[in-house]
Amino acid sequence: MDVRLPRLGEGADSGVISTLFVKLGDTLKKDQPILELESEKAVASIPSPSAGTVTKIFVKEGDEIKVGALIVSLAESGNGESPVVQPASAAPPVIDARVGDEEEAAIDVAPPPAPGPVAPLSADFPVAHPAGVPPPASPSIRKIARELGLDLHRVRGSEHGGRIVMADLRAYAQKIQEVALSARAGAPAAGQGLAARPAPVSVDFSKWGPVSVKKMSQLRKAISAKMSESWAAVPRVTQFDEADITDLMALRKKHAGAYEQKGGHLTLTTFALKAVVAMLKKYPDFNASIDEGAGTVVLKQYYHIGIAVDTEQGLIVPVLRDADKKSMLELAVGVNELAERTRERKVSLDEMQGGTFTISNQGGIGGGHFTPVVNTPEVAILGIGRGVVKPVVKDGKIVPRTMLPITLSYDHRVVDGASAARFVTDLVKLLEGFKESDVAL
Amino acid sequence: MNSIKTDIVVLGAGPGGYAAAFYAADKGKKVVLVEQEKRLGGVCLNRGCIPSKALLHAAKLITEAEESGFRGIHFPKPRIDLNEMRLWKNSILEKLGGGIADLARRRNVEVLTGRGYFENSTTLRVETEDGQKYVSYDKAIIAVGSKAAMPAAFDLGNPRIMTSTEALEIEEIPKTMLVVGGGYIGMELGTVYATLGSEVVVVEAFDHILAGADLDLARPVARRAEKLFKEIRVSTKVTKMATVGKRIKVNMELNGEKKEEQYDRVLVSVGRLPNCGDLGLENTKVQQDEKGYIKVNDRQQTDDPSICAIGDVAGGVLLAHKATKEGRIAVEVITGELSAFEDIIIPAVVFTDPELAWCGLTEAEARQKGVAVEVVKFPWSASGRALSFDRTDGMTKLIIDPGTERILGVGIVGAGAGELIGEGVVAIEMGATAQDLAESVHPHPTLSETLSECAEAFYGTATHSFSKKKSPAGE
Repeated sequence: MDVRLPRLGEGADSGVISTLFVKLGDTLKKDQPILELESEKAVASIPSPSAGTVTKIFVKEGDEIKVGALIVSLAESGNGESPVVQPASAAPPVIDARVGDEEEAAIDVAPPPAPGPVAPLSADFPVAHPAGVPPPASPSIRKIARELGLDLHRVRGSEHGGRIVMADLRAYAQKIQEVALSARAGAPAAGQGLAARPAPVSVDFSKWGPVSVKKMSQLRKAISAKMSESWAAVPRVTQFDEADITDLMALRKKHAGAYEQKGGHLTLTTFALKAVVAMLKKYPDFNASIDEGAGTVVLKQYYHIGIAVDTEQGLIVPVLRDADKKSMLELAVGVNELAERTRERKVSLDEMQGGTFTISNQGGIGGGHFTPVVNTPEVAILGIGRGVVKPVVKDGKIVPRTMLPITLSYDHRVVDGASAARFVTDLVKLLEGFKESDVAL
Repeated sequence: MNSIKTDIVVLGAGPGGYAAAFYAADKGKKVVLVEQEKRLGGVCLNRGCIPSKALLHAAKLITEAEESGFRGIHFPKPRIDLNEMRLWKNSILEKLGGGIADLARRRNVEVLTGRGYFENSTTLRVETEDGQKYVSYDKAIIAVGSKAAMPAAFDLGNPRIMTSTEALEIEEIPKTMLVVGGGYIGMELGTVYATLGSEVVVVEAFDHILAGADLDLARPVARRAEKLFKEIRVSTKVTKMATVGKRIKVNMELNGEKKEEQYDRVLVSVGRLPNCGDLGLENTKVQQDEKGYIKVNDRQQTDDPSICAIGDVAGGVLLAHKATKEGRIAVEVITGELSAFEDIIIPAVVFTDPELAWCGLTEAEARQKGVAVEVVKFPWSASGRALSFDRTDGMTKLIIDPGTERILGVGIVGAGAGELIGEGVVAIEMGATAQDLAESVHPHPTLSETLSECAEAFYGTATHSFSKKKSPAGE
């Protein structure tokens, strides 16, 4: 249908379009404003007489138009008279699917309800401030909050519009203190860390049979401490998936020789690195750390990827710097060189710090899905198992395809299940979509 | 050797620098203020805000006299004496500059007149009339400002090609004048010259003038300027200038079409550049960004732990009141307070006719950032005060968060908009809602009522305009 400028009211027969709200292809609800018209008398918004999709626009901002002038054409999507617009059918199916996934994923990964005594640990009020807008508080309140180190985003304002006043700040500070005290007084609940554990007691295992005892190396002790710390602090969830890497393996086979000549092993890790960096750019929450002191999440704008390396003495995770700025060849050479030096225990402490995400590829050894421990202070780690040829249904037929087990462990404090599901799904797509031109030297 | 020891040295006595120096002195610090010019006040006072406003006031008198015929008041054509006008303008600057010097004296802020140069991170060498002086300090605040940009292609060494600095000296009223750049400086000075009698053409590379302002707010300014100026040409690039006798030949390009014209004078107002040259920054740890601005964090600290930078030279919006705020933050940071330039509203005012002012979130920004907002407008045709002086070409606009009804942005176009926007700043900084604004009684008859009526219009209950009532939430 064609939409024309309706009668504006007494004495007004034309006006200037001050704002045009719609563009081609927009889906409009009935009464959704199409444009805003400024006349001698008033500023008025002109609503859509019907629901539909905009197929043509005849005007632009700044145009002076008269009553009866053609504004837009609408392809009506349904009964314009119907007072109820059903968003489910009006929305494009792609969106529909994603919304569905998200809900499902969110239910899947939702943590079990916290037991009674732990509940007061949360000092956060449920606060919803619109994104991109600072919390509503006067400059003097903001100054006091900054001096006290309180993040106003976490403070609920009691005044109209959610405005935060001194009383709110005081209530929040008191609440924090209560929470801190009850946490200290409470039983060693979950999340208390190593400090709260009872002193370790030695057990004589030789009572039950012969044993041999070996010393824990410094590295073993470091791994032990690090893993316990992560385990205790991070509410970890692991997401599972599989990627069809049949084509990727063919590409690898074809180009491995050329990479080898230039000093790089073209391995699954190389491909995974490339894909992971792209994912981290798309989902910055996975390239982040929690700053608990400041109550903030730090999003890093660099991409230093930890590579889990199996050495004779145990696990070491050196960091490949600026993976986003490296070509496939540079990644292949870089990982190769880093892994070699790591096995020789020649990496410096510096080279093991500053990582933003870790990849643990066990494929070379074997095994399927596993649940890696998040390498804190990072918030996520990718685990790769061994690719196995499996019967897969493709285009209605059962075909042999090489399937790669993929797992993503993440810190649920920062990342939600839905995001992880998206991350993994997109990652699988990337791994399945590598092209000749991505790999060829 | 002439050596002075001080807690804080401030380099540059513009609205950022002197405000910082005075505030530091008020907080009990020993302060040295270094300024290369004899008259304090920086660009703002000497070659910017203040002189341009004086000239715009003169222009307003001429316009109002001209436009008063239909009110039954007839003036003869005014006789303009540029020498007297310049003396009057300069007398204002003298008064202000003298005032600042006096305030410095009373606070025991030592003013050194001369160029400053960093010998290292803690020593500033100052070239004064009485020879070199060395200032050794704990903290320095760099506030050296910016200068009008003159692209090399236009820089012919011809005094008829002016920046704002020369244009403010009004040497003559050229018959024809080209203004390159339709930003606020070009539009303001174009207004002065056009009112004094020049035929002014404004060219702008962008597809509309006054970039940064919402289009609906800029429109009334453009409409009136189109009458005052000979022409406003958007999407136009000036490619070349050359001297032809006493005129300037200008080549430009619009939509692929080439044009060659001659003008008596040209005003180049295409932006400003930081004054970072020859400061000895290389002897400190101060870093600059790719455009030459000094890099600072939100506490105004540079990469050198002894040096802060504020105002134009630190980038961001180049406005005097932003420099002043940054100066105060720098001093608070130096004196150990936890201040930061965070979520601070910096209003913008363009002193064209009508004036244009905004603060907080603009409608365009909200759209760009994807912040859901509701926009309410109140046309000045419904303001009795605007009618009383025949200037209904105005509009007041509120950008409101529909969920909390909080005011996120205010935009005003119309006579005296610059004087009205302060209320918008307070409203946003205080986290006020539309209801707060609507329920605060505004005096009648004033233009400030347009703010409260605009807030009422959000609820569909503005007295002097009629709009459909908001349907209750949840329907």
